[in-house]
Amino acid sequence: MGIGATHIDHIVISSNDSAATAALFSENLGLEIKRTMSRPGTGAHLEFAKLKEVVLEFAGPGTVQPYDEVKAKLSGFVLAVTDMGSAVAALRAAGFETTEPRAAVQPGAVISAVKTGTHGVPFALIQYNALPIETKG
Amino acid sequence: MKVKRIDHIGIVVKDLATALGTFEHNFGFTPDSAKGGEVAALGIKNAFVPVGASDLEFIQPLGEEGPVAGFAKERGEGMFMLSVEVDDLAAAVESLRARGARVGNPNGGVAFVSMKSTHGVNLQLIQRG
Repeated sequence: MGIGATHIDHIVISSNDSAATAALFSENLGLEIKRTMSRPGTGAHLEFAKLKEVVLEFAGPGTVQPYDEVKAKLSGFVLAVTDMGSAVAALRAAGFETTEPRAAVQPGAVISAVKTGTHGVPFALIQYNALPIETKG
Repeated sequence: MKVKRIDHIGIVVKDLATALGTFEHNFGFTPDSAKGGEVAALGIKNAFVPVGASDLEFIQPLGEEGPVAGFAKERGEGMFMLSVEVDDLAAAVESLRARGARVGNPNGGVAFVSMKSTHGVNLQLIQRG
């Protein structure tokens, strides 16, 4: 059995100041920050860099609170799958708890988090081109 | 300095065989038999599971000493390390040091950047080939 994962889609680095952490990684590792956004609903500040097929997502609060030092950590990763319905069904059949697939921040994509049985690693599945992308006429 | 790609994500687990069983049987990931094994100097055993162009590295501490054992003791299982591939490890280390980062000396094709220089993220530089 498998979930049809094709690659690691993105890795999340969470920080109490995601802009500062993204800047540090960008400057020290030569990464280009491709996109900066505020997550709809939560207002979280997100910055994205891409290394070949893998996106590094720097995530933090929309409003940075005063701090003594910037603290960041690896907080999860997302695997790309080709068929979210089949992947979620297979995992649930094996006893894993997953969230109901929902629209992701990425246009046309759906995402589902695997909630249990992952050996302490928060991870989720994402399928691109799963939803029609709205175009402005 | 330019990073080429994400080489692997290091994941600390309590029991390597159990973790590999979970990820192989339920997620369909097959370990790369050409990589991994016991690394006595680090007090670990590990296995690598390819997912696209990167790997998941599962790491089990074999004793009570070392950074992996310390992580397991403090936090249990979880994401431990991010490994990025560079073209020229010595040059990458030099470049980071010139920027004020604290970086260990290259050893066995890898070097670790101090967590004091990464906002707390355990970052490994690796040169392949």
